[in-house]
Amino acid sequence: MKVVVVGNGMVGSRLVTELCASAEPGAAALDITVLGAEDHAPYNRVLLSEVVAGAYDVAAIDLPGVVDPRVGVWAGVCAVAVDRAAQVVVDSTGGRHRYDALVLATGAAARVPELPGLRRDDAALTPPPALTPTGLGCDAAGAAASPLPGLLAPRSDSAGLVPGAHVLRTIDDAREIVAASVNARHVVVLGAGVLGVEVAVGLAGRVGPDAVVHLVHPRGLMNAQLDAAASEVAADAVARLGVHVRTNVGAAAVVLHDGRVTGVVLDDGTQLPADLLVVTVGTLPETTLARGAGLDVDRGVVVGPDLATLRDHRVYAVGDCAQPPDGGSGLVGQGWDQARRLARTLAERAGALAVTPAGPRPEASDGVPGDDCSCGPVDDSSVVKVKGRGVDIVAMGVSGSARPPACGAHPRRTVRLSDPDAVRHLEVVVQGGRVVGATCVGGGAVAADLVAAFTRGTPAPRDPAQLLVRAVGPVGGSAETPVRIPDRATICRCNGVTKGDLVQAWADGSRTVEDVARTTRATTGCGGCKAPVCGILDWLRAAEPARSAPAAPTAPAAAERGEVVRSDSRS
Amino acid sequence: MPATETHCPYCALQCGMRLSPPSAEDRTAPPDGGERRRLPVTVEGRQFPTNRGGLCQKGWTSASVLAAPDRLTTPLVRDATGTLVAATWDDALDVVADRFRAVRARYGPDAVAVFGGGGLTNEKAYQLGKFARTALRTRNIDYNGRFCMASAAAAANRSLGLDRGLPFPVTDLDGGQAILLVGSNPAETMPPLVAHLAGAREHGGLVVVDPRRSATAELTDDGAGMHLQPVPGTDLAVLLGLAHVVVHEQLADTDYLDARTTGLDDLRPDLAQWWPERTEQVTGVPADDLRRAARLLAHASPHRGGVGAYVLTGRGLEQSRQGTDGVTAAINLALLLGLVGRSGSGFGTLTGQGNGQGGREHGQKADQLPGYRSITDPAAREHVARVWGVDPAEIPGPGLPAAELLRALGTPGGPRALLVHGSNLLVSAPDAARVRERLAALDLLVVCDFVPSETALSADVVLPVLQWAEEDGTMTNLEGRVLRRRAALPAPEGARSELWIWSELARRLDAPGRWSTDPSAVFDELARASAGGRADYSGLSHARLDAHETATNGADGGGLYWPVPSPDHPGTPRAFLDTFPLPGGRARLLPVHHRGPDDVLDTAHPVHLVTGRVLQHYQSGAQTRRVPELARAVSDAYVEIHPLLAELYDVAEGDTVRLTSRRGTAVAVVRLTRSVRPDTLFMPFHWPGENSVNRLTNPITDPVSGMPEFKVATVRLAVVTGETVGAAPVAVVTVAAAPVAVTRGGAR
Ligand SMILES: Cc1cc2nc3c(=O)[nH]c(=O)nc-3n(C[C@H](O)[C@H](O)[C@H](O)COP(=O)(O)OP(=O)(O)OC[C@H]3O[C@@H](n4cnc5c(N)ncnc54)[C@H](O)[C@@H]3O)c2cc1C
Ligand code: SF4
Repeated sequence: MKVVVVGNGMVGSRLVTELCASAEPGAAALDITVLGAEDHAPYNRVLLSEVVAGAYDVAAIDLPGVVDPRVGVWAGVCAVAVDRAAQVVVDSTGGRHRYDALVLATGAAARVPELPGLRRDDAALTPPPALTPTGLGCDAAGAAASPLPGLLAPRSDSAGLVPGAHVLRTIDDAREIVAASVNARHVVVLGAGVLGVEVAVGLAGRVGPDAVVHLVHPRGLMNAQLDAAASEVAADAVARLGVHVRTNVGAAAVVLHDGRVTGVVLDDGTQLPADLLVVTVGTLPETTLARGAGLDVDRGVVVGPDLATLRDHRVYAVGDCAQPPDGGSGLVGQGWDQARRLARTLAERAGALAVTPAGPRPEASDGVPGDDCSCGPVDDSSVVKVKGRGVDIVAMGVSGSARPPACGAHPRRTVRLSDPDAVRHLEVVVQGGRVVGATCVGGGAVAADLVAAFTRGTPAPRDPAQLLVRAVGPVGGSAETPVRIPDRATICRCNGVTKGDLVQAWADGSRTVEDVARTTRATTGCGGCKAPVCGILDWLRAAEPARSAPAAPTAPAAAERGEVVRSDSRS
Repeated sequence: MPATETHCPYCALQCGMRLSPPSAEDRTAPPDGGERRRLPVTVEGRQFPTNRGGLCQKGWTSASVLAAPDRLTTPLVRDATGTLVAATWDDALDVVADRFRAVRARYGPDAVAVFGGGGLTNEKAYQLGKFARTALRTRNIDYNGRFCMASAAAAANRSLGLDRGLPFPVTDLDGGQAILLVGSNPAETMPPLVAHLAGAREHGGLVVVDPRRSATAELTDDGAGMHLQPVPGTDLAVLLGLAHVVVHEQLADTDYLDARTTGLDDLRPDLAQWWPERTEQVTGVPADDLRRAARLLAHASPHRGGVGAYVLTGRGLEQSRQGTDGVTAAINLALLLGLVGRSGSGFGTLTGQGNGQGGREHGQKADQLPGYRSITDPAAREHVARVWGVDPAEIPGPGLPAAELLRALGTPGGPRALLVHGSNLLVSAPDAARVRERLAALDLLVVCDFVPSETALSADVVLPVLQWAEEDGTMTNLEGRVLRRRAALPAPEGARSELWIWSELARRLDAPGRWSTDPSAVFDELARASAGGRADYSGLSHARLDAHETATNGADGGGLYWPVPSPDHPGTPRAFLDTFPLPGGRARLLPVHHRGPDDVLDTAHPVHLVTGRVLQHYQSGAQTRRVPELARAVSDAYVEIHPLLAELYDVAEGDTVRLTSRRGTAVAVVRLTRSVRPDTLFMPFHWPGENSVNRLTNPITDPVSGMPEFKVATVRLAVVTGETVGAAPVAVVTVAAAPVAVTRGGAR
């Protein structure tokens, strides 16, 4: 079976790896062609913000490529058209690739806002069309019109922007930003979504105190994920990392000098100097090819639960370019899950080529099948976490200001912990006995626990407030005084010797560590309890002079607890 | 009776012990004034490098099993009415030999199977393997070590070319600046080992990966290190995350990787998929903790000027369907840091059973011949056949690994007769209810044991054997150090050594070769059979081991570690210093993938269940449940529950709950503790019957090692009213005293 995969990004490459690893009998007969616009082996796009931050080396983020006789990879080659009737994909070198199954994994492109001065062709002063993707040098019409289609060079997303302005989507974008940051003194990051925050914090760390980093956003910081209260605390957290946060104010224009960026004018008239401008205002699914092929395109390429397009069951879409019934998240977790499912479908299809799958496939049940609550299934891959040192912002499920309405059958509980002075803000939403959403700023390990509870759907405690403090840990402080240790508490774990045993040994005449070692064996295992044993002996010794009755050794402990002193406390 | 220097009967630390005649004021009697048994010997710890004089409670009380009131001292054969009745040795052995012969005649030699144990001495493990292959001529022999060490063994062989639990002396750990412990709880399972972690704790370098806040995890408190607490079944992903940080923060030892390993180019892109934030989502371990832990290990590593670092694994990681890959991930991490084959650093696994190491080297394993040789290697077969005095072609091929073997019992084409040594299968194997069913389907079950264990009580023939203080032999401890076990007491009237039993059976079955009953002679034969193998003992003998120990005044300072290929070879305390026994002399970095546990959470099974041991008990508890102090300290089967989860299910401390998995149900008493995650229950596996957690565990196995997924399952729980716990029905034994289960009943 011939499979053509368009796009060799994070999801396309994963799909191919999974197909090659499939143990389905049909998988042996696969013949896979991969067309990838980027002239680069697949790499981990998620880590590009870490590359910008200087935490990762750009050479070290490659993903596993496939070396398999069934796979041919065309790097630096775009698909420019699909002839669905003939089941053929046309590439930018004029090559034609027949398919039995076509997978679109074209990802997304950075969105470029309508902002005077930002686009290079603004010089012509034609107002740009609303929110155009910058394209990856792959748009079908462009390539077809190109006089030298074969030489269409893969270029970075930032191409098309004025010098000094960048977006961040590809490895070339990241390289350019890193290069530009070397001499940058005034950085402006436009758009404070997750990526904007990562880039701003990363660049602030990279350029150091000599340079200024502004983060500009027309609404609250990360408003897609955070409500106003959380957003404010998050902005404070980001500011403490050296970023000048300008929220609730948009950008009005880019100031150019000699065609280069020198500043950004804000809606309120302020002008920020800028020698490096990074635009992070969201992404748009790359759907040009699908549109040209007459497939249904909404925000992304519309697919059913089986990931096949509605009109053509031979064409599938996965990853950022796809729009499945529950919506695309723009997160790689969703794409990898789709890749795994589609690999299974295709391998099965390869085994029974004659049968084209018709109805929707059953959903994968990686996490929690059998959802309790009919009024809003949890998309367990929708956890958003800001990467980078010192930033600790996580949001999942029901969060932010736009929330699905609660239903009557499963009352919702929303519990918040607000601790702005410590730059902490936690919120958890429980419904149907499980965590359906959470927001954590400065949450530390609590956030990790909430992610685990959210993605797995484990039972939530009766009082959701319990979820906002760590559930596991020592009960008391570690510096217990002997007085407060209960008699039944084990002191020497190796030999199961309790405090009561030690008190009894003292009563029977043991006075030194050696004595109690002989009579109780405490300290004779790993030896780790020597200090507490000495502590208890010291305490007993101190209590000695005050002793009147022979049964008194238990007195200090018991009296402290207000108990009646029993002389027969141990038999 | 003079004092006898020997070692503890239980775990692989093999603490040094001195057994002396009982004193008037017997110190091994319980300190809390419980029942006093008349003990035949007094136990005390002695100076020995692994325990430095210390013992845990199991060790201190080990003499108690010697005086178990239900000690078996006569063979038992099930009669026509289904009752086990006393028989003479001759009669019992004749029954066994006749029925083995009958099964073999009807179904072929593979229909007689053998199940061994990791507690058997090297001599017995060797002789049992030989007995299976040459006297029974069956390929079906495997042992309970499959449930213990198989994943670690497979991974070490695959990546390093050699499987020696710790390829360095335990005392090397003392000097480590950082120690990563994955899925191991030595503070409970081998407490004296904790002393060897003190150096790392002083450096703040003890990193424990465990879904529970175990006693070992608590050792990281107060700045002694870090506890990473993953969601059960995700520890492999934690290791991938740590390795990711090491590679991407450029903390790897590149010179070492260039010089001593292969596979980095394949591994690196694979690890690129495990950035900390994603790892956090999969494992529940905070991304920053992963970074911190990885840096801590890297800074302790020699190439970054550290004093030394160790990566150690345990059953928590290994007893999983991805156990071999889990250990591989740990080895990858150690290799990336340049730790393996460097003095003062290293990778190792903490072997559990007393002779878990030696037991896997001398032919008890389905696919192995003595000396850690592969049974499919023609040269190995040739060599061993010569020692055994048989034609190489007569040695059968590889048999079924343990879990499969047990599943096949009594099925069409599967084994019809089973000989069990040193293993209480009914309690210790996964999916225990099914094991009971399989054992019942056999034509013949023969069990050698010294107490009426649950498995012995269901046998057709029970043969009473010796205990540790009554026998001579050798053990190989967790560091690959070969030790002498010495008899301090005469065998009780009626009990016999296994060596004798096999020689008698071999004679009745007309087996070729020599069947010595003298452990020292059997050792010499083992040494010859192992010569040239990976675990080469050919330079050792009982005499040399004794002389060595005497020379170091009993403390066995240097120790004799295998391989010891000749009588003048000093042994090999540290393996891999120069090379790895793999092509090119290089260790292999192998990409591995995280799939997670087979059991998933759903509304019918909403919480995780993890299993493990408690300090007071060993394995199936057949021995330790017979020690009054231990039985008293931890009597009833219990399950640990977080108070938040308990509140949700309306259960309180002391309630009885029923746990239900996709396999079955088990009953236990609730203990509330904040040391488990609120999404996870913990239940130890030392109890039989209704209380056996292994009725719940998943028998699915690792495709490489055959290791069952013991550690993680998913379950639901419900309160049980009006039921008692611990009163497992007591089978009727006509001869021996009532089984110990009675001492545990009625507690509630
Ligand atoms: C800086 C950054 C940080 C991110 N951080 C996170 C994060 O922390 N967590 C998270 O979950 N997600 C994150 N994401 C999102 C994540 O990277 C995407 O979800 C993921 O890359 C989607 O994979 P994909 O294969 O669908 O698309 P892509 O990885 O974008 O791959 C699509 C590929 O297809 C190629 N292509 C497009 N059209 C054609 C054509 N016509 N012919 C041939 N090839 C074509 C493109 O050039 C590209 O190589 C981040 C993204 C960025 C940019
Ligand atoms: S059980 Fe293990 S740790 Fe305890 S005394 Fe015996 S050998 Fe030592």
